[in-house]
Amino acid sequence: MTKTISFGPLDFARKLDAEAFLKAMLNKYDVGDRVSAQDAEILRDALALHPDAAAKIGCGVDSFSVRSADYGTKCFWINRPDGSTEKFSFRACIYG
Amino acid sequence: MSLAELQNWLVDEGLGEELERLMRRLAIAEIDNLTPSAEDAEEPKFDWSRLLFAGSILARSQLRAHQEAALRIATAALTLAETTTVRDAGAVLLGKLSNFRAVALAEDRGLLAADLDSRLGMSLRIEAQRRQMNRAILIESSGRWLPVNDFQERFWSNAGDHQWLSASAPTASGKTFLVLQWLIDQMRSTDATIAVYLAPTRALVSEIEGALGVLLGPDSKVEVSSLPLREKFDAARTGGSKLILVFTQERLHLMANVIGVAAGVDLLIVDEAHKIGDHQRGVILQDAIERVSRDNPSVKLAFVSPATQNPEELLTDAPEGKPVIAIDSDAPTVLQNVILAEQRPRTPKLWNLSALRDGASVPLGVLQLDTSPSGLRKRLAFVAAAAGARGGTLVYANRPSEAETVAGLISQLTPKPVATDPALSELADLARKGVHPKYALAPLVERGVAFHYGNMPSLIRSEVERLFRSGKIRFLVCTSTLIEGVNLSCRTIVMRGPRKGKGNPMEPHDFWNLAGRAGRWGDEFQGNIICVDPKDRTAWPRGVPGRARYPIKRESDAVIERGDSLAEYLDRRAEIDAADVDGANDFEAVGSYLLTAYLRQGSISQTQLAKRHDPATIARLDASLATLADKIEIGPDIAVRHPGVSALGLQRLLEAFRAYEGDVENLLPATVDSDDSYDRFITIMGRINLHLYPAFTPDALIPLHALIVVRWLKGMSLAAMIRKNIEYHQKNARPFNIPTLIRQTMELVEVTARFKAPKYLSAYLDVLHLHLRAIGRIDLIEDDIDIGTQLEFGVSSRTLLSLMELGLSRMSAVALYEKIARDDLSKDDCRQWVVEREAQLVGMDIPAIIIREIRAKLLPDAGAQLATF
Repeated sequence: MTKTISFGPLDFARKLDAEAFLKAMLNKYDVGDRVSAQDAEILRDALALHPDAAAKIGCGVDSFSVRSADYGTKCFWINRPDGSTEKFSFRACIYG
Repeated sequence: MSLAELQNWLVDEGLGEELERLMRRLAIAEIDNLTPSAEDAEEPKFDWSRLLFAGSILARSQLRAHQEAALRIATAALTLAETTTVRDAGAVLLGKLSNFRAVALAEDRGLLAADLDSRLGMSLRIEAQRRQMNRAILIESSGRWLPVNDFQERFWSNAGDHQWLSASAPTASGKTFLVLQWLIDQMRSTDATIAVYLAPTRALVSEIEGALGVLLGPDSKVEVSSLPLREKFDAARTGGSKLILVFTQERLHLMANVIGVAAGVDLLIVDEAHKIGDHQRGVILQDAIERVSRDNPSVKLAFVSPATQNPEELLTDAPEGKPVIAIDSDAPTVLQNVILAEQRPRTPKLWNLSALRDGASVPLGVLQLDTSPSGLRKRLAFVAAAAGARGGTLVYANRPSEAETVAGLISQLTPKPVATDPALSELADLARKGVHPKYALAPLVERGVAFHYGNMPSLIRSEVERLFRSGKIRFLVCTSTLIEGVNLSCRTIVMRGPRKGKGNPMEPHDFWNLAGRAGRWGDEFQGNIICVDPKDRTAWPRGVPGRARYPIKRESDAVIERGDSLAEYLDRRAEIDAADVDGANDFEAVGSYLLTAYLRQGSISQTQLAKRHDPATIARLDASLATLADKIEIGPDIAVRHPGVSALGLQRLLEAFRAYEGDVENLLPATVDSDDSYDRFITIMGRINLHLYPAFTPDALIPLHALIVVRWLKGMSLAAMIRKNIEYHQKNARPFNIPTLIRQTMELVEVTARFKAPKYLSAYLDVLHLHLRAIGRIDLIEDDIDIGTQLEFGVSSRTLLSLMELGLSRMSAVALYEKIARDDLSKDDCRQWVVEREAQLVGMDIPAIIIREIRAKLLPDAGAQLATF
């Protein structure tokens, strides 16, 4: 049986496709970039699937940024309305 | 026999043996722990009347050797002779040499009874008075007469009616003092409203700024500032307070960028002007001078340099038909003894000392060390500790780390004081709180020993200098920052294999510039230059250098004279990025300068420099530049704003912006309070390295450069930055040692945050703004504090900038800002804040030196009171 996954209106036939999609989105950005409004919509939907979604979202999502993560990598970060910030793994949104 | 022949004969033959004995006697009196040879241990016997008569003949000569001999006779008569008449005659001879400061010193020391004039015969008295009148200058603004020496008199009398002037004289000739007096007099007595004083280092900038403040006194109608801000400039131009700006060449460009043009500068003084030949920064200096003179062709310009061969070289760029003059002096004002220290075979604690005279060494005696020196640094440290025990001793070290080590060794040989002087305790406290509790400077200064290097915070460095001058710090171990221009003199300087920069043996003129620090004119009669292990060819590859003067040569001329290499570099540069072009380090700065000139004029054949070079060379360069210029659309205006940055790099950056597919907002730096700021700087620095110039290298270290820049801009204190660096090493289990981490953090602040980042980030932003205007996104251009200024001073908040505008050092401004809640205070708000809390300042755990600075700058009345106590 094919496992499907959706971020809002975006459906992916396979989790691998969803991963490739978000990976391409991440790589489009340099560290320090704000994520565009259009991509942010998709990320909000993806974040909802994160196993720690409630804790990650906290008081809300104001915007997303791409910043450096450990060992010279980069990842998405949530900017909350209260000024706090939290990174999350897009793979966790797909694979739990 | 003509007078000149008589003078030559006196020095070469007539007095040869006696001058040597005088030299030995004088030098021996200067050195501690020295056992003189048997002959010199006896009472000296000199034929004073013969010597003094000869001295008065020699004093009429302009030759350095003759003047030096006369000065030696006069000094010996004052310091060695027993009878009043001989001493009086020594003072008269000093008067003939126009060395009035030395006469005053003899009076202060009790060597000369007061009221010399009354003891002179009528004719001598008239002659002395006539000389004093001839050798005094009238300060027009105050009506006061100032006694001067020959060099000072020639400077003063010629500066008025020449538009360009280039003055050169040895260290300790009273150059800086006189130039500052002249500058102030010009500002007070002429129509000049804005003057710029260019100094090559931030250390010298803060020193000159401080000296001007003292000379001008409180309630002056002339303001002094070292910040490139628009407000005071505009005020001066529109009838407000006149303004003297003290800048490095980079800061002058920042200022001109903020104002738009450099127009309005009436008077430009270029100190340490021989540094126009410096690698990379020389051409930026040349560009700064040209920028001012281009915007105001009638600017009055004075170049000042130490002991140069050809001060007139600097005048060749003066506008046609303008009156110019070179004023050159080689006259000594204090005696200098070059002393060689060589270890005796098999007796490591005993060192033979000898003085150099005409290339031959004259034995002085044996120096006894406290302990055997094993290792090269100990040799330097122990000889210094023994020979210079009475203090005023400067020791030259080749690196900051070595300066710390040598200072540590010397401190172990000096007795621990029973009670530490309060001024030294305050400096130690500042070092512990302002840098780190374990900063090596703190325990050293408590014992009267210190070190000094360029990357130290300016407040600490200037306090070290002040306490060395006052004699409380007895030994100071310094690095080449001192040759780069800090006016600090000493009684004795000790060197072993001095290097300049990373490993290059010192050129003779650099050695003599450093050696010139020995001898505090007006404070001492003599200075001593002690060279340790002079026959060691590793330490002194070319031996102890003979006396030499700087040859002035512009960096641009030197590079153009290298034949076709520059044109070939430009041809290669057209095809590939600077990072991949061989010779970028040698040619990029001058290449950028010429390219900008080409963009401005369509050819370099009409520039001032073209007349100094072969027309074929200029034509060849023009051809290479034409190829480059074809690729460039950014126009000369932006290129002019960024000296040292290639217009080609600016163009490539513009193309990168045009090709950028993301949201253009992401091209802008994020405000430093934003979480994106650090990462955004990483990306921007990567872009700069790729398109503009490889400035932040290696790429793997970009995150470190970005981190330093963000913390610096956030207004973080140096102490906090060092603490965080140590915590990072501890958290990641990385090995570290505290002294090295402290020095590395200081270096990153000075080199990355305050030098490279302002230079390249302001160019980045200028090109970005050009792009944003072109695509109609002017809404993204903020009219905030210029990024170059923010970085140079390490401020991003209005309050911090206001505090620094009021004259506080960054260290004091940051310490105070930690106590101030608001980030948007104006200068008046800041003053008000301090006035309201004056009584509480002491309880705020702020180091005493910082509180003193805050009081002096923000509470002028309190400062004035303090000064009178």
